[in-house]
Amino acid sequence: MFKAYSLSALTLCLAACSAPEAVNISGSSTVLPAVSLAADSYVAETGTAIIVNAGGSGSGFNQLAEGQTDIGMMSRNITASELERFSELEFTSTAIGRDAVVPSISSEIYEAGVTALTLPQIADIYAGRVGNWSVFGGPDRAIFAIDKEASRGTRQIFMFVVTGDSKAKATGADLVTGSNNEEQTALTQSDSAIGMLSFAWLNEEVRGLSVIMPNGQIIEPSLENVRNGSFPFVRDLTVVTRDDIKPAAQKFVDYLLGPDGQKAVEASGYIRVTE
Amino acid sequence: MSTLLLSQSKSLSRPKDAVKVYCQISAMLSVLIVAIILGTLLLQSGPVLSLKDTGLFTTEWNPDTGQYGMVPMVFGSVFVMSIAILIAGPLGLMTAIYISETRSSRLRRFIKSALELLTGIPSIVYGLIGVAYLNVWVADAFDLQSGRIILTAGILLGIMVLPTFLTLAEDAISSVPLKFRENAKSLGLYRHEVFKQVIVPQAKAGIAGAGLLAIGRALGETMAVMLVIGSLDRLPSPLFNPLSSGQTITSKLGREIGESAFGSVHFSALVFMSLILVSITITLTLISQYFLLRKNSRV
Repeated sequence: MFKAYSLSALTLCLAACSAPEAVNISGSSTVLPAVSLAADSYVAETGTAIIVNAGGSGSGFNQLAEGQTDIGMMSRNITASELERFSELEFTSTAIGRDAVVPSISSEIYEAGVTALTLPQIADIYAGRVGNWSVFGGPDRAIFAIDKEASRGTRQIFMFVVTGDSKAKATGADLVTGSNNEEQTALTQSDSAIGMLSFAWLNEEVRGLSVIMPNGQIIEPSLENVRNGSFPFVRDLTVVTRDDIKPAAQKFVDYLLGPDGQKAVEASGYIRVTE
Repeated sequence: MSTLLLSQSKSLSRPKDAVKVYCQISAMLSVLIVAIILGTLLLQSGPVLSLKDTGLFTTEWNPDTGQYGMVPMVFGSVFVMSIAILIAGPLGLMTAIYISETRSSRLRRFIKSALELLTGIPSIVYGLIGVAYLNVWVADAFDLQSGRIILTAGILLGIMVLPTFLTLAEDAISSVPLKFRENAKSLGLYRHEVFKQVIVPQAKAGIAGAGLLAIGRALGETMAVMLVIGSLDRLPSPLFNPLSSGQTITSKLGREIGESAFGSVHFSALVFMSLILVSITITLTLISQYFLLRKNSRV
């Protein structure tokens, strides 16, 4: 009797252990809110375990390439040197949403009248050529320029649009942060800071700057302008997979592109890619 | 090693010997682990050391152009550690004297266990408190744009290593045998004289050892420092200005190890930095062991 009991316990355990293993996802903290929201509802529906971690686009790609995760989240394109390092592997990028990187400033500066800058002006700040808000009609206060880690997708798109070089060094930077979360905190805590945030991370304390285009047109960082592509800092949010992807992970990628996944993308403040 | 195990297994019939073999294996394992770690660090440092023009001893860090200047990080680590010791040292020593010399043994036990609890708090918790409060307070106090600076990291580290230093220094002072105190008192010395002439010379080595262990902890701390130091790969200007942002070896590793591919030059440069860090800590540990050993042989 006892023997039979323990045997059935063993079978139970084996059954549990052979249940489909967890899908591991990591990477861009910009893509993270949408994916983890979608993962919540997906887990509730299917019971598949999904683990979502931040770490940045660069780290997301590395972990996927090295086989530590099943899906990498990236808010920028895979670079040529990244592909070269893992040339024996095949990668697939799938856009799940669209986002804008917004030059963001402390609300104090925004309310004092600096609401729009040209791209060369932003470049001047990050190169350390301009150091005071009074130059742009703001209060007489030193500009506190916040940079991001070099591998971050947000930084690369920002620097590419502003200076034409996604790896431009920011000699005028006063602080380097990592995730959107960290950058947002630093912007909130300062009263004279400028930084770069994903569209979804703007709030009352951290305001998005409008961009003055070369033809004089002022473009606000509104959902409308991001959707029609007129805001200059628009980019795709992607999930990257390897060709040897396991079925459970592929199912989740399909889910992200389906109606429920796209709903999560929209609820996170981004723009959907499929209707 | 296998022959050794075989010869030992013959006499395993006695439980005493089994325990002995077990202990021997454990001891060898820990030595082996240390050797493997050091070996890996040396091996992985190879690529960056074999390349020319990596500018290891410059201030320019830029993996895209192959520049791996480590001076700001090494300087930052030493600078932050110095601030932490300047804060924790006097504070810890004074408190240790107060607890061990003037308080009742019941209160002493209470204070000590509270302090030892402090050492068990994970460093990320200190880091979050640093981001939420300390960095804002420092910014306000010095009228700065941001409190993510070397000084904040130093203060936070000082608070973190204080319990370690305090509790070990206090042990050193309390472990001076009672007969020394009693003899000194019977010679008619005042309390402060007893302390200065008798206790301090006896406890000196132990206190120094405690200090060096605290320095080791300060050098190795990552998360808390990473969150409040500002992460700028630059030397402060002027050089000894604690109010500027900086970078330590550990915060640099924390920020970049995830994005560097295993086996790349970038990865190798990061490993070489950790090798520098490990060498500093090993040197400190050896010095502190020397002090502690000398203390034990003298008492």
